[in-house]
Amino acid sequence: MKTSWIETIIAGSYALILHIILLALFVIGMESQTAPKFVAQPKVDIVQATVMDEAAILQEVAKQQQLEDEKRRLEQERQQEIDKKLADTQQELARKEQEFLDQQQRAELEQKQLELEQQQQQEKIAKLEQERKLQEQKTREAEQQRKLEEEKKRQAEQQRKQEEEKKQQAEQQRLIEEERRQKAEQQRKVEEQRALEAEQARKLEEEKKQKAEQERRAEEEKRKLAEADRKAEEQRKAEAEKARKLEEEKKRQAEEDRKAEEKRKAEQERKAKIAEADRLLQESLAAEQQEQEERRVAGVVDQYSLMIKQRVKRYWIRPSSAETGLQATLRVSLLPGGDVKQVTVIKSSGNSVFDRSAESAVYKAAPLPQPTDPKAAAALRDFQFIFKPE
Amino acid sequence: MTKLWLTVIWLLAFVPWQAQAELVIEITGGTEAALPIAIVPFGNTGFAPPEDISHVISNDLARSGRFAPLPQQDLISQPHEKAQINFQDWRLLRSEGLLVGKVDSIDGETYQVQFQLFDVYKAQQLVGKRYQVPASGLRRLAHQIADQVYQALTGEIGVFSTRLAFVTAIKNVDGTKRFALQVSDSDGANPRTVLQSKQPIMSPNWSPDGEQLTYVSFENGNAEVFVQEMTSGRRNSVAAFKGLNSAPSWSPDGKKLALTLSKAGNPEIYVLELATGRLARVTHNSQAIDTEAVWMPNGNELVFTSDRGGRPQIYKVPAIGGRAERLTFEGSYNASPDISPDGQMMTMVHVQNGKFYIAVQDLATGAVQVLTDTGRDESPSFAPNGRVILYATEQKGKGVLAAVSVDGRIHQRLGESGSEVREPAWSPIRK
Repeated sequence: MKTSWIETIIAGSYALILHIILLALFVIGMESQTAPKFVAQPKVDIVQATVMDEAAILQEVAKQQQLEDEKRRLEQERQQEIDKKLADTQQELARKEQEFLDQQQRAELEQKQLELEQQQQQEKIAKLEQERKLQEQKTREAEQQRKLEEEKKRQAEQQRKQEEEKKQQAEQQRLIEEERRQKAEQQRKVEEQRALEAEQARKLEEEKKQKAEQERRAEEEKRKLAEADRKAEEQRKAEAEKARKLEEEKKRQAEEDRKAEEKRKAEQERKAKIAEADRLLQESLAAEQQEQEERRVAGVVDQYSLMIKQRVKRYWIRPSSAETGLQATLRVSLLPGGDVKQVTVIKSSGNSVFDRSAESAVYKAAPLPQPTDPKAAAALRDFQFIFKPE
Repeated sequence: MTKLWLTVIWLLAFVPWQAQAELVIEITGGTEAALPIAIVPFGNTGFAPPEDISHVISNDLARSGRFAPLPQQDLISQPHEKAQINFQDWRLLRSEGLLVGKVDSIDGETYQVQFQLFDVYKAQQLVGKRYQVPASGLRRLAHQIADQVYQALTGEIGVFSTRLAFVTAIKNVDGTKRFALQVSDSDGANPRTVLQSKQPIMSPNWSPDGEQLTYVSFENGNAEVFVQEMTSGRRNSVAAFKGLNSAPSWSPDGKKLALTLSKAGNPEIYVLELATGRLARVTHNSQAIDTEAVWMPNGNELVFTSDRGGRPQIYKVPAIGGRAERLTFEGSYNASPDISPDGQMMTMVHVQNGKFYIAVQDLATGAVQVLTDTGRDESPSFAPNGRVILYATEQKGKGVLAAVSVDGRIHQRLGESGSEVREPAWSPIRK
């Protein structure tokens, strides 16, 4: 009896499970029926499209349309699939119900066994009940879990769909992005190209630099070598220079000595010249002074000559027989004070009266004007008179 | 530096030359002022001389205009010979000459005269002479001494001892005139009458030796030419042709006379050979008067006055006759020529604005110089030294003698007697 009972319970459990599965399938089918259909709506981001041309947009729209059609087709397929699955499930269910009914017959047989057993196993049943309850609890929890899972799944689906949507949008976005990206890519590539070129250039430059560097280094090396050589040479030269300098120094010294000597001589000469120039200047000054003095004296002499002339002229009584052309030259010596010391006819006019008239004139005019200046007076101490009628 | 050197060189080159060069003062011109001369009154021992010799000399020299004798009161001393002269003193007086002398006589008849002319400044004797003359010769000697002083100091021949011949006209109380040909000393003093006449006497002219005079006298009622010896007074008529016989002039050799004769009807120039009486006609111009001929000193040419050109002008013609050459062109009237002893100057009466002046013409250049300014001057005659021109002029309505130096500077009046004096003729220098 007990076995029948258990079998009954098991059969009941099976039925229950089947019901639950059926219910679940139903629910799923319901959900599938009631689940909102996602209609892909062509979405054109106008803002995004600003950069596009009309053809591109049209193309894009067509593409979208196509995509949508495709989606619709896929959905239809999926629906058919679900429907098929549902039919399969109902078939299964029928089958299972048959099975179940068979089982129930067996179970009723068994029930009787079970009920036999039931009493045997009453305690066990309680215990099992408890267990079952626990199991139920567990199942419920599992169901709950499953539902949760389902929900989760649904949510996941939704999520997925949303994702899909998002994906589509993302795709669109992506396309735009792609385009943009392509452009960017292109830009980038250009940039890259440029960068490449730049890089290349840089590299070339680098290379060059390196080369230059290399060269420089080589050069440097060379230079260093040369430097070394040079230094050596220099050293050698320095030696030579030193020797030369020594020699030169010697020479220089000699030269210096010579120059010093020369300089001394030049200085001596210069001094002599200066002295000479000085002397000349002095002489010139003296001469100038003398000249000036002479000029002054000459001036005084001139002045007194004129006075003498006028005085003598005033005293000269020319004989009226004096014909023009007569001319007597007299030399006159004066005493200090202007008195006549001596008058001599040094060139007669040929007319004694005329000559004498001249002599008398000089005597009569005495004392002749005499300058106080001794030099001028000296110049007027002895002089000549020329007497002419006209 | 170069400049400096040049200066130095120049100075060096110049200085010695200058040192050697003697200052020369040239004096031209001078004055022709009267020469100061100190004439110390001659010393006298024995008889006092009838003539103050030094006074005569002084006057002669002063009158010549060429000397300025110092006033007697200025003479600081009275030396008579060289030993007495302190020349320094005389120099202070600025007289060029100093004349000293002595006149001594032991009998009052014969005088011993000595003079010395000194150059005061040179303290030298210029001339000194000693003479013995009768008392009557003292004046003449004084003139001779003056001549020597003059010559010593001026270089020219003195003419103080020459004589003047001139005609005087004295009005008688009855209104008639008495004419006299007179001869005086050169100063107009000591006049002696050579000829007296109631008829006019004209144109006296001296023989070259000064021993004879020729003149025109109207004593026979007609103009007649006479020659008279001075010492003897003997006279001959040499030209008494019909018509006019006038303007005689002695040839330089003393053998001929140039005359103006109108015996052929018109006054013409003739030359008369005195020794033979031969007459040669020089001019042949019947339309004009030719007169007042005088000889050129060379004796070959005659210079005369002629109006052949319409107005009286002076011409020159060969003494043997020939073509006459006009000499005067200045002024409308030139007449009465006389030729200087050297033959270079001619003096004549020259009319300007209707007035008569004495002028001289340089025969070489033709330049005429008017010498006088009275406007009534006539009969010019050269002194024998050619320096002075004697002429007649009028003063207060009376004819007087005057003289002017050939340069016109010195004017003198001569013989201021009460008589009217005309037609003077200066004697030649006595040889």
